[in-house]
Amino acid sequence: MSRNLRGLSERKGLKESLFEEIVRAGAGDGRAGIESADAIREKYLIGRSSVLGVSSFYDFLKKEHRGKKVFICDGTACLTSGGNIRLKQELLKIYGEDEIGTVTCLGHCHSNNAFMQGGRTLVWDGSPLPVPEPESAGKAAVKIRTGTNAGKPALLNPPGDLKEYYGILRTFCSDISGAIGQIERSGLRGRGGAGFSFSAKKQASRSALGTRKYIICNADEGDPGAFSDKWLLEERPHSVLFGMMAAGMVTGADTGILYIRGEYPEAVTAVKNAVRELVSEKITSRNLWKCDKEFTFHVVEGAGAYICGEETSLINSLEGLRPEVRTRPPYPATYGLFGLPTLLSNVETFANIRYILTEGGEAYAALGTEKSPGTKLVSLDGAFNSPGLFEVRMGTPLREVFEDLGGGTRYPVKAFQIGGPLGGIVPSEMVDRLTLDFESFSANGFLLGHAGVVSVPEEFSISELLWHLFEFTSRESCGKCFPCRLGAKRGEELLAGAIREGRKIDRELFNDLLDTMQLGSLCALGGGLPLPVRNAMKYFPDEMSQMFY
Amino acid sequence: MMDITAHIDDIPFEIKEGETILDFIRRNRGRDLVPTLCQADNLINYGSCRICSVEVALSKNGPARVMASCHTPVSGGYYIYPSTERIRKLRKNIIELILSDYPDDKIHPQPGRLPTEFQKVIAAVGVPVVRYPENRKRSEAQPDRSHPYIWSDLSECIKCYRCVRACDELQSEHVLGISGRGFESRIIKGYDTDFISSGCVSCGACVQTCPTNAISDRFGTKTAVAEKIIRTTCTYCGVGCNLDVKVALGEVRGIEAPVDAAVNRGHTCLKGRFAFEFYKHPDRLTAPLIRRNGNFEKATWDEAYDHIAQKLNEIKDKHGPDSIAGISSARCTNEENYLMQKFIRVVIGTNNIDGCSRVCHAPTAMGMQWAYGTGAATNSIDDLYKTGCILLVGANPTAAHPVTGARIRALAQSGIPLIVIDPLKIELARFAKYHLQNRPGTNVAILNMFARFILEYGRTDFEFIANRTEGWEEFEKHLRSLDIDELETVCGVDREIVRAAAIEYSAAKAAMEFHGLGVTEHWQGTKAITLIANIAMMTGNIGKEGAGVNPLRGQNNVQGAADMGVQPHQGAGYLPVDDPVVNKLYSDYYGKSVPSGTGYRIPEMFRASEKGDLKAMWIIGEDLLQTDPNTCHVRNALENLEFLVVQELFMTDTARIADVVLPASSFLEKEGTFTNGERRIQKVNRVVDPLPGTKPDGQIITEIMNRMGFFQEEYHPASALREISGIVPFFKGVRWEELGSNGKQWPVNEDGSGTLILHTESFKRGKGKFHVWDFEETEELLSYSEKFPYILTTGRILEHYNSGSMTRRTPNSQLVKEDILFIHPVDAKRKGISDNDTVSLFSARGNTVMKARITDVVKPGVVYTTFHFPEASINYLTSGIADEFTLTPEYKVVAVDFEKSLFGRFSGPGCRND
Repeated sequence: MSRNLRGLSERKGLKESLFEEIVRAGAGDGRAGIESADAIREKYLIGRSSVLGVSSFYDFLKKEHRGKKVFICDGTACLTSGGNIRLKQELLKIYGEDEIGTVTCLGHCHSNNAFMQGGRTLVWDGSPLPVPEPESAGKAAVKIRTGTNAGKPALLNPPGDLKEYYGILRTFCSDISGAIGQIERSGLRGRGGAGFSFSAKKQASRSALGTRKYIICNADEGDPGAFSDKWLLEERPHSVLFGMMAAGMVTGADTGILYIRGEYPEAVTAVKNAVRELVSEKITSRNLWKCDKEFTFHVVEGAGAYICGEETSLINSLEGLRPEVRTRPPYPATYGLFGLPTLLSNVETFANIRYILTEGGEAYAALGTEKSPGTKLVSLDGAFNSPGLFEVRMGTPLREVFEDLGGGTRYPVKAFQIGGPLGGIVPSEMVDRLTLDFESFSANGFLLGHAGVVSVPEEFSISELLWHLFEFTSRESCGKCFPCRLGAKRGEELLAGAIREGRKIDRELFNDLLDTMQLGSLCALGGGLPLPVRNAMKYFPDEMSQMFY
Repeated sequence: MMDITAHIDDIPFEIKEGETILDFIRRNRGRDLVPTLCQADNLINYGSCRICSVEVALSKNGPARVMASCHTPVSGGYYIYPSTERIRKLRKNIIELILSDYPDDKIHPQPGRLPTEFQKVIAAVGVPVVRYPENRKRSEAQPDRSHPYIWSDLSECIKCYRCVRACDELQSEHVLGISGRGFESRIIKGYDTDFISSGCVSCGACVQTCPTNAISDRFGTKTAVAEKIIRTTCTYCGVGCNLDVKVALGEVRGIEAPVDAAVNRGHTCLKGRFAFEFYKHPDRLTAPLIRRNGNFEKATWDEAYDHIAQKLNEIKDKHGPDSIAGISSARCTNEENYLMQKFIRVVIGTNNIDGCSRVCHAPTAMGMQWAYGTGAATNSIDDLYKTGCILLVGANPTAAHPVTGARIRALAQSGIPLIVIDPLKIELARFAKYHLQNRPGTNVAILNMFARFILEYGRTDFEFIANRTEGWEEFEKHLRSLDIDELETVCGVDREIVRAAAIEYSAAKAAMEFHGLGVTEHWQGTKAITLIANIAMMTGNIGKEGAGVNPLRGQNNVQGAADMGVQPHQGAGYLPVDDPVVNKLYSDYYGKSVPSGTGYRIPEMFRASEKGDLKAMWIIGEDLLQTDPNTCHVRNALENLEFLVVQELFMTDTARIADVVLPASSFLEKEGTFTNGERRIQKVNRVVDPLPGTKPDGQIITEIMNRMGFFQEEYHPASALREISGIVPFFKGVRWEELGSNGKQWPVNEDGSGTLILHTESFKRGKGKFHVWDFEETEELLSYSEKFPYILTTGRILEHYNSGSMTRRTPNSQLVKEDILFIHPVDAKRKGISDNDTVSLFSARGNTVMKARITDVVKPGVVYTTFHFPEASINYLTSGIADEFTLTPEYKVVAVDFEKSLFGRFSGPGCRND
């Protein structure tokens, strides 16, 4: 929020990143102690309160986080599938109640058996966990199953020879307008949820004046239910790096930053390795296209805050400020990282670019519909017979995705929450009316979002799910805007009272609360929560009405 | 064609470029239509409370979206509906949410208090019934009363974070912060401590901006019921902050900074905001005192005037008018200073009139007059927002000019390159891109180096030089002949840093210079000023926005006192008194002939008194014994006088040795104008009646003028200003009635228009003149550095003002209680001194004792202290060396030595004669 603090942070830049310094100081023993706070204050000339303010924001630096030996994923899919409860019962055989924490979400929605330990993601395969070797309690995750209904998928294929893979940038360096033309013709829309035109973003950033510009890959979109970004970062990191480099080429930016969720440690490692590969293979912008400045990558690991998936929060976080949502305008394209022009987009968006440049914008567009061109990665959770990640042509009937690719669900499911915690709750009977694209979802009062699919079993209480969503929003709210900071908390309390103590909720109050959050919130977290809640009230009136007067 | 019309409730209005929807609504429909909480006019829009939401459609009654008006730009074609049913409900629902986390007993104003801003908004939106069953009250937040002024009770905090943003944006201090996240986020002070331990500098910006009483002050200023709010100008420094003073039952109830003030835009410092209680301190003088048989006796004003008139006439008859001298005060108004110099010149008949600019900015006036023709800041303080580089020489504005200091710090933080030339690692040096920490007394050397590097490696504006200046060839030749090796050794600053800084300054599209007493209070003070003037000229940094040479004036009206003729060589308006044409002009105007020939400057007055040539002095509002150098010498001089009149608020050391003491009124009790450091003539309005027994200085002078047989109209600023505007050329268009709330910057033309930037087309003197000087070591060090090998340099702190006579009589004395000696760790180790040890400090003139602080703010070989407390009286030590052209004392270089004191507090201060 502060231009002064932003300026002070910029002095040290990304190489001596204030954010990473605070995380390092806080990681050891919770929030940064006063001595380390003073050292940071001296180095960066900021206030003690500025250091404490940042370090107290992130989950990984919180005091409560210390002393925990293992963290169970409590994302929506693990919750609805009951996976988290089963896992906890197993872990309780080894650890005390107070040694087990939670984390949201590890991106194992397809197996619902993940936990985090010692900075690694592990899974429980159902066999008794070894006692008492905490370091090897679980097993490394098995590879996620993938599939597609696109003849030649844009995202799934491995890169092959790296020199050749990146080499095509050489052909575009003398024809930047050609590259721009392909991207424009592709009609690519941001895959982070809002579906904003990538080309428009790129154009704004390209035309922004500035001696320095940044490309940021938002790899902190921790929507429970979606594991597409995680898969791309771990399995196809070069497709993301390629997209960022190409974006740098067309906008004139020389720095690419990947801000990756701390909950995806394996993704951080994979991307760092990929960047190292580029260096060792001498695949550099200077070699690829004759630019004066080397395009450099910075890989930054998040510290546990869902809100950092919001683009302005993410930028504030990178700057070492409190990751509060900024007002817009100005947009990051003109006033982004350190106040400089910044093109910020999602992992999957960047990953699409190579296909667009090699196969052509039209070919890409033809994979989807007129308004939703291309394909979309869909994450199917553990309730499906064939859970996994599927590259689906936009416009594909949702039923086809569920049945043909996912093999249907293993047990009766009454609804699917699609598109993350702020995505709509789609009752099973509506599945036939939807096709997988932005328009179909929004026309029916839902949201495509990240296209993560979380199944709600027949016996799982819808109000329980809503309580979880309010609790999640309240926990993850940055606290800046009043409707979200206060509203999510009050909503959580109303539902807790109804579920735990059988208290009735004033329906008018509840509607007022939803209106206030939807109309008043500064960003999509508080503003988006009412969508699934209203879906639930509309499609499950009987279940819900028990809660109200 | 761009659509430049937007509608509010279907009524069309023209939009302005860059305006938000809220600005647009307020401009056209007033402030009451849309309530706000997190928005404050002097803070960047934050968009957190959402109370300001409105509905916006793209056609009349078309589908509307809800938008927060405070941060959404207005566009042509918008149809804005600020108070629809949906919006009113939204606002009420947000208030309900806030109240679910807010004490029930604070929803309505407290009995006998005004409503807070939040309480007003609650009332405007409608008090909702809080329907949430589990509203959690934050009763766990304990009130914080640790600070003498600033109080907090965070149970009332609504988390709009205006305080945190004010601490950041206005004060660039970052003491207040936010910890935690979401519902649990809350205000913290420092590392989550109380105000007094937090590093807070007590500016009170948080108090003023907080819309509740979560952060308030001891006076309850925000909610204090006032009969009137009177705007006036602060007495504490040359920034010239406007203050809104709340008054009830004849007493000050609190002070806030008006947001529409051009100078300070809703900000001020702890002195301006909180340190006002001195005016009703029991120590105030309330009756004239006449010394009879060695003791002061209370007298009536008539007795005092008669006594003074008789004594002055006697001395004048016996020894001639030149045996009498006056010292006017930069704390007084322009009108009072004008009258004082008129009294001395016309009624007494001598040019022996001087003021405190003699001990501060006289070299600035002299040097800039030589170079440019005008001895005043060339630019306005707002130019800071248009500059590309700031050069700060010998000034510590975060302490002495806090609002300007905070602005410079904010700009430096946000990326504007700042160059500091100062022997001390001052607060701003921490944020500077380059700190040229030269040895005290070497400004001429380092400025020469700086200019040489601009010429050699930077950007020299030869076009400006050719068109606008004279004397360049000589200066260029001089620069090329400099011995950089020698200069580097003299200054003690690596030439590479000087070079880089010089390149940075010269490369900026516009670079702005500020300086203070660290330049002027030197043996080579005037010379250093002309070198600064040279540097600005050779880079074309004169006569344009965001540039210039800008002295930071110490006292509130140093500029005005000199403007009004409080100088022995120039009369009102800087006209030379030894010019027969000018002499005639003054004589005609005053209706009585004025003396010709330059009078005594202050140090010359002391010498004349010691010699027996000067018999009587009249001193207004200055404690020479505490603030002038070489106290023992000053005491001798003053004691040697036959007759001394002192006009004061309090019984100062100087008043104590007077023959007549006249009780004056403080700035809160009088009317007139002050001229700030950017030449802005601003109104001082009477806030409370003069304390019974006291009189405003202007009235006292007028009455004595009449008593001594000269008719002078009864004191009123309007008539006095009319008289001034008839003789001071650059006051020609100044009228009391037309000054408005933000004053005018001189020169004020006949039509009443002021001037933002000087020398835009040509210099006042025609062409700007380059001066050439070499560095010369001060006599002080040449004579004494062998016996006294350390250099003492002096300065000021934030919490106290000069002699401290006012601030020490406020709770500021709880914040800082004494002067402290700063010693570098290397020197401290050598002398076996630790933090808080009592140290005995001595020079050739005197000695004193004070507590030590071991710090790297000073370099080895240099020690530093302040002069606010009589207990330390550092001026017992300072020297008689002065600037060779203006006699401004060299406070900044004193040869001293020190040791751990064996006798503690009991061994000083005192005189020596080494």
